[in-house]
Amino acid sequence: MKKLGLTALVGAVVGMAMSVPAQAGGVLKVPVPDWTGGAVTCEILHTMLEGHMGFKVKRITMPSGSALDEGMRAGDLDFGCERWPGYDATKDKYVAEYGGDGSIVYYAPTGIVGQSGYYVPRYLVEGDGALAPDLKSWEQMNQYKDLFKTLESGDKGRLIGCPVAAWECEDAKRLETLGVDFVVTELGSETAHFAEMQAAYKRKEPFIAYAWEPHWIFAVMDLVEVKLPEYSDDAWPASDWGADVTQWYGPKELADKHPEIVALMNKVRLTNSESAEMMLRIDEKGEDMEDVVTEWVEKNEDRWKAWLTN
Amino acid sequence: MANANHATPLADGQGAGLLQVGRTDLTKPIITIAVLAASLVILVLFGGEQVFPESITRRFAFVDWVNQAEEWLQANFRWLTRGISDGILLLLEPLEEFLWFAPWPVVVLSFALPALAYGGLRLMLLTIFCIVLWAGFGMWDDAMTTLAMMIVAVSICVLTGIATGVLCARSDTVEALVRPILDTMQVMPAFVYLLPAIFFFGTNAAAATIAVMIYAFPPVVRLTNLGIRQVPPTMMEAATSYGATRWQLLTKVQVPQAMPSILLGINQTIMMALALAVFSTFVGAGGGLGDQVWKAITKLKVGWSLEGGLCIVTMAIVFDRLSQAMSKPPETIKLAPGEMLFRLLPQSWEKFAPCRWVESGIDLIWQGTAAPGRALAAAGGEWVARHIHLVMGACILSAIYLIDAWFWSVGSYPRAWEFSIREPVDAAIDWLTVNPAFIVVTKTMKAWMYLYFLNPLDHFLTHLPWWYVAALFTGGVWMAAGWRLALAVLVSLMFCGAAGLWDLTLYTFAGTVVSVVFCLLFGIPLGIWAANSKIVDGVLRPILDLMQTIPTFVYLIPALFFFGGSPTTAIFATVIYAIPPIIRTTALGLKQVPADIEEVTRSFGSTRLQALWKAKLPLASPSIMLGINQTIIMALAMQTVTPLVAGLGLGKEVYDAMNTADTGKGLAAGIGIALMAIMLDRLSHAMTANQRRALGLS
Repeated sequence: MKKLGLTALVGAVVGMAMSVPAQAGGVLKVPVPDWTGGAVTCEILHTMLEGHMGFKVKRITMPSGSALDEGMRAGDLDFGCERWPGYDATKDKYVAEYGGDGSIVYYAPTGIVGQSGYYVPRYLVEGDGALAPDLKSWEQMNQYKDLFKTLESGDKGRLIGCPVAAWECEDAKRLETLGVDFVVTELGSETAHFAEMQAAYKRKEPFIAYAWEPHWIFAVMDLVEVKLPEYSDDAWPASDWGADVTQWYGPKELADKHPEIVALMNKVRLTNSESAEMMLRIDEKGEDMEDVVTEWVEKNEDRWKAWLTN
Repeated sequence: MANANHATPLADGQGAGLLQVGRTDLTKPIITIAVLAASLVILVLFGGEQVFPESITRRFAFVDWVNQAEEWLQANFRWLTRGISDGILLLLEPLEEFLWFAPWPVVVLSFALPALAYGGLRLMLLTIFCIVLWAGFGMWDDAMTTLAMMIVAVSICVLTGIATGVLCARSDTVEALVRPILDTMQVMPAFVYLLPAIFFFGTNAAAATIAVMIYAFPPVVRLTNLGIRQVPPTMMEAATSYGATRWQLLTKVQVPQAMPSILLGINQTIMMALALAVFSTFVGAGGGLGDQVWKAITKLKVGWSLEGGLCIVTMAIVFDRLSQAMSKPPETIKLAPGEMLFRLLPQSWEKFAPCRWVESGIDLIWQGTAAPGRALAAAGGEWVARHIHLVMGACILSAIYLIDAWFWSVGSYPRAWEFSIREPVDAAIDWLTVNPAFIVVTKTMKAWMYLYFLNPLDHFLTHLPWWYVAALFTGGVWMAAGWRLALAVLVSLMFCGAAGLWDLTLYTFAGTVVSVVFCLLFGIPLGIWAANSKIVDGVLRPILDLMQTIPTFVYLIPALFFFGGSPTTAIFATVIYAIPPIIRTTALGLKQVPADIEEVTRSFGSTRLQALWKAKLPLASPSIMLGINQTIIMALAMQTVTPLVAGLGLGKEVYDAMNTADTGKGLAAGIGIALMAIMLDRLSHAMTANQRRALGLS
């Protein structure tokens, strides 16, 4: 009977604990980006929210992109981390600055700045037996186009272009304007894009591909950028990409519902180099993301303490 | 997919049709050659990049209509859809929590004990192995989430599906109305409705459950309908003459008589639900094996994604074997006098003494554990005796619960017992990726398919004038299946053209044709081989099961590593996915040809090859045609995932539409795919019907 009594007591305590409103902040539902860099950015914000602002964050795995917008517009997801405007296929539909209806808002820059470009593996341009030692910029691409020929590309070289049609890349137009005799292959998904690169890299085959930094792919492959004409609004798309200033974002209701989160977003700034370092440890060395982020939090107490004070 | 949709049992083979088949009819080949020649002439004269008349596409603003309708629905009907998803969550969440917190042996035994009761020791061990694998791979919680979702989705499908099936069986009008809806549900790419589902049903497991239900609902309706319609009228008359009411007729005669068919439908529904389990991650269902597979493939980790995939496969195996065992009468094994009953090892090993020792041991334990049951049955009265398995099972499960709660916490599966196949799998894939000989083979295959199949056919179709292609298709279908279907084909083609999808539709058609041709090229010989060799059959069977239930995402990454990203790779992935039915039905059709047919042909002096070619294959052809039909549908279903690996066509349009949250665009392309699947399905049915008539089988 003693055990029964004990169980009842424990049950009562648990019941009471559960009936008390969880915590001051409440529960947030947040999608975790499906790329390591974004996940790290997100996790740092979550640590602040959970550790110091009394929220509990429910982390949802789902492919990034339009699905997150739908979830936020419907009021099921509270906010998102690290949106890359250049890859935002729905911004002209939902983000006011881009002509959308304003249901999704870019609240503040995360500090991570994306940079896109064309890359080749280092073994292709450096060292003994490098097949394209002079390939430095777009101007030499035609000279080496035979290296990059495939069955489907015919006489032209093949560029593994931006994988998703809706991203702002304009690869085909760029090549045409610059007079580069390559065709662009669009692989349909980021996964396919990097799978193709990784397989070619392992076989030491020549390839030239679109990629962007910061990205975990640079942790597993040694890539060299092929220079493009410097970015300018007028020259675009016959130029390099402009910097992609990534954003904290969320539904427009976030500002009313949780102004304190928006205030925090306005302060939290990370840098490319620290993000890249954490990515390297997670993707190349196989460390746990939580451990890596915890270590960052321990090391950078001054910075995040400043974020939390009003 | 949909193994049993059109599971018309092959009638007894009769030789009557053989003569007709043997006669050579030259009209059709001549017409075909003439049409091909005319097409080439037209291609040369009018050929070029083709555009559907802009005056039509501009006025047919289907995409805008759908998007306006969606906005209106979003504004006015969200309360209803949210109510539905709340209802589903009310069922789902407690179940999920129960499964999470239940001691893991309770979950294992909840499946293993029924397996023992219905299928014996072998099935029980298989079940335990499968379920422990989930924990062993460290995916227990995710497996429980998926399991809970499957249980809820399948239960709702079964309840509503049987009711719909009964209604269909009662009225031909209802059936004619429901059938195209069911067809559309099965072939519409999930990406068309997953994104809108998020807004209407939420970022949660309810939205995922509904998506699963859309895909898995049709088989149980179809097979309930079929089963009830096959109840012999004499039986109904007898029941009516004894004064049975309509309700009694339904519950006491029709449904029990149709039960084997209904159970097959439930089995198929479960399989299809599991096939869509991976997609739950696309609506942020929160946990589940789909999350594991998705996380793994975005990081290109083949071993990890394979573990997730295998959890889904083993879940399918447990459900499949268990539901089959439950729907069959218990097997009675005929034993020779003095022979011992083997519970674990194959009965044919009875002649080996060591095997007999092992089995004696098993028998001892068997009798020992059965004794308390027997005692309980004797003591507990009639009800207990009749439900002895249930009572014993309940006792065991409660015992574990009590032990867990009071004495020794069983808790979750010990981490020390976990194991992983990630490293060896990744190493094997890496080895193949850099293996020069293997890569030469894959590249040659790819080049060959591209140069000689895909490119010419695509070029041919998309460079002919649109009006000519439309006339060609319509005329061909008219000749093969009559004017009704021809008219439907024409309307479908016009829809695709007017919606601005003309070249995408033809590309998809070309890709499907090439995939199906490759499936036949490899599948039919494999099927013939399997029909003639028990060993091949035995080896092939589990591989085919695996190919049909493993999430396609799992083999997309290796396909990319080996073949590189290109539309041709998408065709290879489609062949892998769509080949099982043709192998199965070829083997099945040949096995069902009565043995005396071969004897008769052989006695007339034909060789084995001749007997196969001239007698057995023609007799098996209705079954093979059924396989071709399913292969076509599956090849089109693969349009859902091929855009992820650079596949082109309507599937890509759907995928792009999802990325830009453009429901109208996605729906238009989705309808294009559905129409193509339905037309090809009806066409192959019509052709099968002709074939069957010619053979005197129907």
